[in-house]
Parts: sequence; structure tokens; C-alpha cells
Amino acid sequence: MPVTSMPVTSPPVQTGTDTAAAVTDALLWVDGVTKRFGSLVANHRVSFHVHAGEVHALLGENGAGKSTLVKVLYGVHRADEGRVVLDGVAAHVSSPARARDLGLGMVFQDLRLVPALTVWENIALHAGRAGRLLRPRRIQAEIAEVADRWGLAVDPAARVADLSIGERQRVELLKVLMSGARVLILDEPTSVLTPAEVDALFDVVGRLRADGVGIVIITHKMREVRTIADRVTVLRGGQVVVADRLAADISDEDLVTAMVGTTVEAIGNTHAGGGAGRPLLQVRGLHVRGAGEGSGLRGIDLGVGAGEIVGVAGVAGNGQRELADVAVGAARPDAGAVLVDGETMPANDPAAFRRAGVCSVLADPLREFVVPGLTVAEHAALWSSAGTGRIHFDVAAAAGRVADAAAWAGLSIAAPDRRLDQLSGGNIQRVLLTLALGERSPVLVVSYPTRGLDVLTAETTRRLLLDARGRGQAVLLVSEDLDELLAVSDRIAVLAHGRVAGIVDAAGADRRQLGRLMTGAPADGAPGDGAPDDGGVTGRRMTGRRVTGE
Amino acid sequence: MNGVQQALIGGIEGGTAILLPALGELVGQRAGVVNLGTEGCMLAGALAAFAVAAVTGDTWLGVGAGLLAGAACGLFHAWLVVRRRADQLASGLVVWFAALGITSVFGTGYIGRTATPLATLSVPWLSHLPAVGPILFRHDALVYAGYVLVGAVWFVLFRTRVGLVLRAVGERPAVVAAAGGHPQLVQMTAVIVGAGIAGVGGAQLSVGYVGNWFNDMTNGYGFVAVAVVLFACWRPAGVLAGSYLFGVALAAASVLQAHGVAVNQYLLDALPYAITLVALVVVARRGGAKAPEALTAALTNGAA
Amino acid sequence: MPARLRRFDGWRRLCAALLVYLGALALFSVVVALKGGNPFSVWSTMVRSTVLAGPTLQETLLRAVPIALAALAVAVPARAGLVNVGGEGQLIVGAVAATGAGVAIGASVPGPVSWLVMAVAGAGAGAAWAGLAGLLRTALGANEAVTTLLLNFVANDIMLYLIYQLWKDPKGSGQPESRPLVHAAQLPRLWGSQLNIAVLVTVAVAAAMWWLLRHTGWGFALRVVGGNPEAARRSGLPVRRLLLSSMLVGGALAGLGGMLNFAGLELRLRPDITLSFGYIAFLASWLGRHQPVKVVGAALLFSAIALSGNGLQLTDGLDGSIVDVLLALIVAAPLVLTKRRRGAFL
Repeated sequence: MPVTSMPVTSPPVQTGTDTAAAVTDALLWVDGVTKRFGSLVANHRVSFHVHAGEVHALLGENGAGKSTLVKVLYGVHRADEGRVVLDGVAAHVSSPARARDLGLGMVFQDLRLVPALTVWENIALHAGRAGRLLRPRRIQAEIAEVADRWGLAVDPAARVADLSIGERQRVELLKVLMSGARVLILDEPTSVLTPAEVDALFDVVGRLRADGVGIVIITHKMREVRTIADRVTVLRGGQVVVADRLAADISDEDLVTAMVGTTVEAIGNTHAGGGAGRPLLQVRGLHVRGAGEGSGLRGIDLGVGAGEIVGVAGVAGNGQRELADVAVGAARPDAGAVLVDGETMPANDPAAFRRAGVCSVLADPLREFVVPGLTVAEHAALWSSAGTGRIHFDVAAAAGRVADAAAWAGLSIAAPDRRLDQLSGGNIQRVLLTLALGERSPVLVVSYPTRGLDVLTAETTRRLLLDARGRGQAVLLVSEDLDELLAVSDRIAVLAHGRVAGIVDAAGADRRQLGRLMTGAPADGAPGDGAPDDGGVTGRRMTGRRVTGE
Repeated sequence: MNGVQQALIGGIEGGTAILLPALGELVGQRAGVVNLGTEGCMLAGALAAFAVAAVTGDTWLGVGAGLLAGAACGLFHAWLVVRRRADQLASGLVVWFAALGITSVFGTGYIGRTATPLATLSVPWLSHLPAVGPILFRHDALVYAGYVLVGAVWFVLFRTRVGLVLRAVGERPAVVAAAGGHPQLVQMTAVIVGAGIAGVGGAQLSVGYVGNWFNDMTNGYGFVAVAVVLFACWRPAGVLAGSYLFGVALAAASVLQAHGVAVNQYLLDALPYAITLVALVVVARRGGAKAPEALTAALTNGAA
Repeated sequence: MPARLRRFDGWRRLCAALLVYLGALALFSVVVALKGGNPFSVWSTMVRSTVLAGPTLQETLLRAVPIALAALAVAVPARAGLVNVGGEGQLIVGAVAATGAGVAIGASVPGPVSWLVMAVAGAGAGAAWAGLAGLLRTALGANEAVTTLLLNFVANDIMLYLIYQLWKDPKGSGQPESRPLVHAAQLPRLWGSQLNIAVLVTVAVAAAMWWLLRHTGWGFALRVVGGNPEAARRSGLPVRRLLLSSMLVGGALAGLGGMLNFAGLELRLRPDITLSFGYIAFLASWLGRHQPVKVVGAALLFSAIALSGNGLQLTDGLDGSIVDVLLALIVAAPLVLTKRRRGAFL
């Protein structure tokens, strides 16, 4: 649950000039919704209006409370306060099914399709359409008709598993449209699309708007606001900071300020700039076909030198997972190679990578690290035996080692005889960090190191990464937390659509610049990948500016 | 009548005792549940059918009893794996062993007794077709039920909403739940219906094909049925072919012996199982179709 | 979860477990009553005929040998997440190989040599039989539960072929069985009792398995593979080799069980030599949650229950197979309790 923990001192709300008019004829009116999870306030008195035939962008950073808001709207969560008004009538959206009945359609980020079934079967499954019998021809004809009307080209007889991610999204859209939605909510719809697919999507959205559908686009991308939105609401820290403004009436500068906040200090990376040593980890021409809903890698070249931290930024699903997997030998690239200290590594051989001195803070500890039934000490024994070809199974020694490592690192971990699978996410993460960083291996591939950690431990972790750099380790740091990347990296490579959209010096980088690169917009001089440039903010130097609290 | 024809006739007859349980198992596996207890469901069905037929003299009442007995075993399995989340393979074997014990205990009185067997019905006109007539159309009614059921299972799975939901549950239960469905209910129902069909398969064995009851009379047919579903890649037509292949291999053994071929009977007995194994391996080797996702999880315990 | 709550949860779980096991026994009593037996008399017969009588206690121990070893053959692969239902077939091929070796050697070598040869033959055959299923799984992805099951039937038919034809005892009573094992090659008795050395071997093997699984890298690696194969792969463990090795070791254990049962107790290869011990063993391993010591305990319990069937037949006039129902119900109990255990992970 992306709930912010950022302290917010209720920012001034900028309201559109025509609010009074908006209320009367709004198709959807979200009125003062508050949602809490325990002591965390995910949404605080959030209000906005969506009109028929209008595209409304909900803009905000990760953790601003957008996803929670959408789940409240769609009946996944119940609001603690406030209400949702549809066509002037207060609606009790008690479940997703109820939301669909009310004419709310939702396209989730993680598409909800059954890959093994065909397009028409998925649509028939969802829409509680008439009849106990399936009439494939009739359903397919219906789909073709609706698809044709909205320009959603898709083969109704194709298996979903064989479709690209963009095509799958079209199926989701069809599914929603065919159930008669009047309000369409798109949750980060472009995060997994190629630029061409984004254009096609926006084309469809344009047609829907012309037809009088009310559309909400959840996004953190400025470019999308500019391209498609009529009206914009900005969320920060769970609260509305810009409400119902006409997109044409607000400048980019103001939007970014609203989104990022003026209180955010530039987390100056004072450590950066030291000359990196010889390259310890290099990837060359990596291609990996995207699994499921990610973009995969489409030709990545990257190097990390001794005593250097290279951050990898990007929206989830743009190739970070694949990069981290290949870089530790846990996946086989379709093309390209990984070199450790100049030696080409055998693909998909985790043991060889460990022998060569590559350690990893895994991206998904529950799936890739935690063995049910084993204790902390046993995990330590497993960890230290990896790559040695034989398994040292001395739990007592491992327990001592992991305790020492934790003490050295300044991380407090659970007792060695505790079962790891019974610990909380943060405790598991601390054990993983202790093992991975305690190894002091020449190369570290670190994915989302501070996820699930409290603020203090997160600070310690960042310090440990900087210490590692100081010892001459090469660190590849994958993260979605821009502050973190800016705080510890020497250079930051931004991945977009499986390519490196740009590599910037962390010392001179700022969040907006990274954010723009993450959308796939080319930096100056960087090879473009065909994405149209932002309207409005062109021509600015991409390096050398810092956010200084404007 | 030559040997080949005999083997084919016997193959259809004997294959039905695989076909019915395999179709039942197909329904369950499409919903994401494997039931090794199919063997037990068959045993229960075989005894229930035989006992009721012997006591009442009404064979069809017996078949109905077989259906219910199979479904009861299925309920046990479904409860363990769907509601209690027990390991599917272990639960299936527990069901089988329980059924083995119960049928042995309650079946002692029926060993050696006779029941009116299912009558052989020749389909008018069709049974006089040259070559295929006698092979396909001079059997008891449950054999024809097998023909019909193949089509019926296909139709339900691929042409009705119920079947669509069932297949979706076997793939991604969460999607069905998100769409407002009830995956657990679907799985329970699928397993129980499948087990009921397996019970009828057992009935076909005791009151049809063999016309007798003895302990452990299914002799692994239920396990073969599970294997057939796997190598049929979860398709009704493949299940049909696989079941009759096994049936023909069974019949071939006795036909060969009747023709004085000097091969040991027991080696021939092993043949159907060996053929099933080979078929399983060949399909695995070719990559086969992808198993329903939820089923894969149950079959592999997540291991590579 | 606060400690107080966890303790409460522990109590609740204990009570639930007790209830479920009692329920299993009650259900069995119902089956007995349905068959016209007196449940109380049945329970007392079962206890008296197995535990309280010396000779049957010894037989319980002897019969527990193949059950325990075949159960360990389930437990070892289960550690790696594999389901070996082939204990029956592996027992059979073990006995067949031992018969082949033992009868061929005859009295030409001293006893200990022929014991060793038979043991190696039995274990080797069992390992090969299980290894075949393991190979089909690791190389081709064929489900090992189904292949081991099918292999059971093939093994049984091969054995029948041998004793009805190739190895049939020409001087036999007309019953289909092999020639008997010569006296010198039979396993030695212990202290003049019915017990033979097989019991000690089983205890030693079980202890060795306990040690291997608990205190060696191999046993540890199996647990990792069984617990989370992806984590194992990322730790650089040779997942496929480990899976295969677990099947080979398991098969060897069951094969040894078949050999010990033959050379110590049966002395001739005959149909039904395994008495479904392979399947009973599968249940025993699940009851013992695949932990060697508990598994052997479960094997002893199941051996006693299986044997008590004879007593029931004599004393209470019930069919002996009724005990199969009891075995199944007892094993159903831990399956019923799984959900709560899983819940602890979340």
C-alpha cells in the first residue's frame, strides 16, 4: 500500500475558478474522502469533480495517495469519511461489482486478465452478460463492433497470453466499456506502454471524451497532463494541493512545485563526484524479453566502477527487475553479456556470480530469499555457502557470523534461532541487508534496499551503501525512491521502456529532470526513442540544475 | 471376427472404465484440483453400484448409487483440499485408501454374487455398419454414455458460462474472485461432480465390463485416468483417445493370449501402464499444452 | 502477534488437533458399528493383539521394517518438495533384485557376503526405479506422483511374470512363488527371537537419515529446495541434481526395505509380498510430517494397526481391511489441520 509517511504541513489549496459551476453538473463528485490505515492517513478530505466529456488528471508522486483514492472509488476500500456522488446522487460503492453496476469502470495497473483464455472469453467472464451459453461468434462480433467504434484494434479470438502489454490494456478497456461504464478510471495507464502505444491509448481516450464519457487518469507524469487532460487535481501526502484546475490555466512550473512540494530540501549528494575506479560490473548490449507485464530490456549498456554507486531509476516495469536479475546471474539474457571485473560471466549461473564476488539485495525477498521453516541462522548458513560448490552447514558459526555482521552494520536483527518466515517484512529486510552488505563483496546489486524499513534503519542502510562505496565496492542501486537515489548515487541511469533514457551525474541532478527522463523523454544529446517531447519545458539544460526550494 | 476387431471392441468396452473417470478428473483439473482419489471414487462407485444392483435387481438404480458414492468420496477430497487447503496429492491418496478399506469391508458379502449386468444395446442401423458397427455400436448403455459425455464435457467447458468460470478458476482464482465469483464454490462443485462421474466409471466396471465385484477391482484405473488427463493436455478429445488407447492395450493382452501368442500374461498386463507412462513422457517432452496455472501450483509444490 | 495471543493460539491449535484425531477414531468406530461390530471390543482387540502379546509385538517390529524404510523413501524426496508414491513399486523391485541375487548366489559364499550383495542389489534396484521417475520429472517435467504410481503397477506385473514363469519354484507346492532363499543367506535372528537383524539395520538407517537430513549440507539443501526452489536457485544450489538425488536415496531406502523384508522374513518371492506396505508407508510419512524419527514412529503405529487386522478377523469377525479405513482417517487428521499451519506463515 503506497501510503506516504512524509510529514505534510497542510499546503495551501489552489482551486479552479469555476468550482461552483462544476458541482452542479458533475458526473462524478468525490466529496471530502478520508481513508486511514491505522495511524497512517492515506487520503485526507480529498475532493474533486469529473464532468462528462472531460479528462481529469489526478497527478501526484508515488505515495501521494492516488492508488488508495482510486480503490476507495472502486469499492475495494471503504472511505472512513466523505462520499462519492454520481450524477448528483450519493452512491454507496460497497464492492467492485457495485461500482460496475453504477457505471464506474476501472482499468488497473496490474491488468486483471486470465492469460490462458482468449480475449472474448476474458470479456465474457467479466461482463455478467445475458445467457448461460456462450456464443463465441456473437460475442466476438460484439467485441469487434465496440472495438471498431473506439479504435481498439484487437483480435477477439487471440489468447491473452500471446498479446503485448498494450493489447492487453485494450482488452481491459473493452471489458470495461462493454459493461457500460460512464466514468472510466485509468490507473497509471501509460506506465507499461511504449510511446506508440501511449499515443494509441490517448487516441482512444480522446474518442471516449468526445462521446461524453468522464475519464480519470491517475498519473505522475507531466507530459500526460499536457497531452490529454482537460482538468487537473494534484495530490501530495494524501491531500489535495491543486483542485479541479483547468489544465490550460496552470504552468508546468506550478504543477511540479505542487507535486514535489516546496518544502522538499535538495538532498544534496555531497559524496558524489569522486573518480570511480576500474569497472567491476559491466553489462553490454543486454536484451531480455519482458516477462508478463514488464517492458524487458532492449539494449542496455552500463558500467559500475570500483568505489562507485550507480543508481537505476525508472517507473516499475521498465526493465529494472530484468537488469538486476541478469546482473546477479539469476536470469538468462536473450542477447548481451555481463562482465565482472573484466571477465565475461556465464549466463544464468548464480553460483558463478557469487564466486566472482557479486552479492545482491534481492528485489522480492519473500519470493527469492525466504525459505519457509528455516531460521535466521540457517539463512545465514545458506547465504555464506552460496557459490562455494559445497554447503557449509554450521548453524552455530553462521549464527555468530550474522550476529557479528549485524553489529558491524549497526542493524538490529531478530535472534538467529527465529524462523525468518515468521518475521515482519521490515525484519526480513534487515536480515537480508545484513547478509548482503556484511559480505563486503566487490560488487553489490541492490534492489529497493529500504523498502519496508523505518526511517532510522533506512538512513543506516544508505550510510552502509556509502561505506561500501568508500571501501571500493561497486554498487548498482535499483530504486523507485528518487530521494534515495539522489542521496547516495554518483551517477543515475534512468530506464524507460527497457532502454537507458539518460545517465546523469547525481551531484547535478534534480527530481524533475529524472522524472522527465523516466517518461522516456530524451535528455539533451541523449539518443531519443521516439517519444514526443514535453510541450512547454523544452530547451532547458538537463544537467547542472538543482532544486533549491524555489 | 479377427483379433484386431476383438481388441478394438474390448478396447472400447474397457476404455470406458477409464474414459468416465478421466472425464470427471478433467473437470476437476480444469478447475485446478487434481484428485488421485479418483481410484477410490471408482472403487466406491463400483461396489455401491454392484451392491444396489444385486439387492434390488435394478441395475440402473445401482449406477445411480455408484454416482452418489463417487460424489461422496469427492466431497471428502474437496473439503480437505479446498476448504482445509490440504496437499492435493496426499489428500487424494487418503481418499483412495479410505475407499479401499471401506469397500473391502462392506464388499465381502458381494464377492461371488451376481447382479443383472447392463444389457448390451445394439444401436439400430449403426451397429450394422461394416467394420465400425460392431466395434462402436454394440455395447452397454454406459459405453454410449461415455461417447455423449465427451461431447457434453466439451460443451460445458467451452460453450457455457459455467465452464468459462470453471476454467478461469483453474487458471487465476483471484481474477474470478475480483469479478464477483466464488472460486472455492466452483472448485468444490467441480471436484464433486468429477468424482460422481468417476463413480459411474466404477459402476461400468462392476455391473458392465466385468459383471462382478472383487476387492481392489479397479486395479489402478483411477490413477491411469489421472495420467490420461495429463497427457491429453486437458482436452476432452485427447481424454477420449487416451482412454481407448489404454482400453485397447488392455484388451490386446487377452486377445493375444487367446490367440496363443507365447508372451507372459503379466508382462502383457504391465503394457497398458507402460504405454500410459510413455504417453505421459512423450507429451511432457513435446512441451504439451500448458497446464492450468492453479493446477501447476498443486502438482509441483513450486519445485522446478 | 503479541506473545499472549500466540500462546492462546497454540492452545487452540492443540485442542483442535486433539479434536480432529478423536474425530478420526470416532469415525472409525462408526464404520465398525455400521459393519455390525462392537467398537469397544474392536479397540480392545487391537490393543491386546498388537502391544500386549509378545509374538505379535515381534511381528509388528518385523513388519515395521519395510514400512519404515518405504516411509523414509517418501520423507526424503518430500523434504525437497517431491511426492514419491512409488514406495510399493520400489519395495517390489528391491525384493525382486534381492531374490535374483540371493537365489543365484545360493550357498556359494558366506552369509555376510550374500547379505551385502542382496542389500546392494535391492537398494540399487529401488534407486533406479525411483530415479527413473526423478529423471522424468527433472528432465521432462512429468509429474512424479503420477509416474511413481504407474511404475508401481509395472513393477508388480514384472514380479508376477518372474514368479509365475521365470523363477517359479519347480519343487514348489504349485503356489506361484520363487525358490526359497538358502538358509545361509537368510538374515540372522536376534537372541533366539523371531526378530532378525533387519530391525537393527532399519534403526541404524533411520538414525543415519535423521543425521543426514539434520546435520549435513545435503539434507539442508533439500530443505531449501523444498521450501523455496527460487531461493535455492538464487543461492546457486544445483536444484535439479538435488531433486534427483532425493529420489535416488529414497528409492534406495525402499529397495533396501524390500530386500530386508525378503531376506529376513518372507524368504520367497510371492504375490502380495508387499501387502500394500508401500502405500501404508506413504501415509506414515505424512503422519510423521516427513521427519525421520516421527516417520519411524508412525511406521510402527501403522504396522501395529495393519497387523491388528488379523486379530479383528479372528476375534471380532470383521474383515481385516477395515484397518485401512483407520489408517486413512488417522492421516486425514493432519491434512484437516493444514489450514491452521499455513495460517501461521501469513
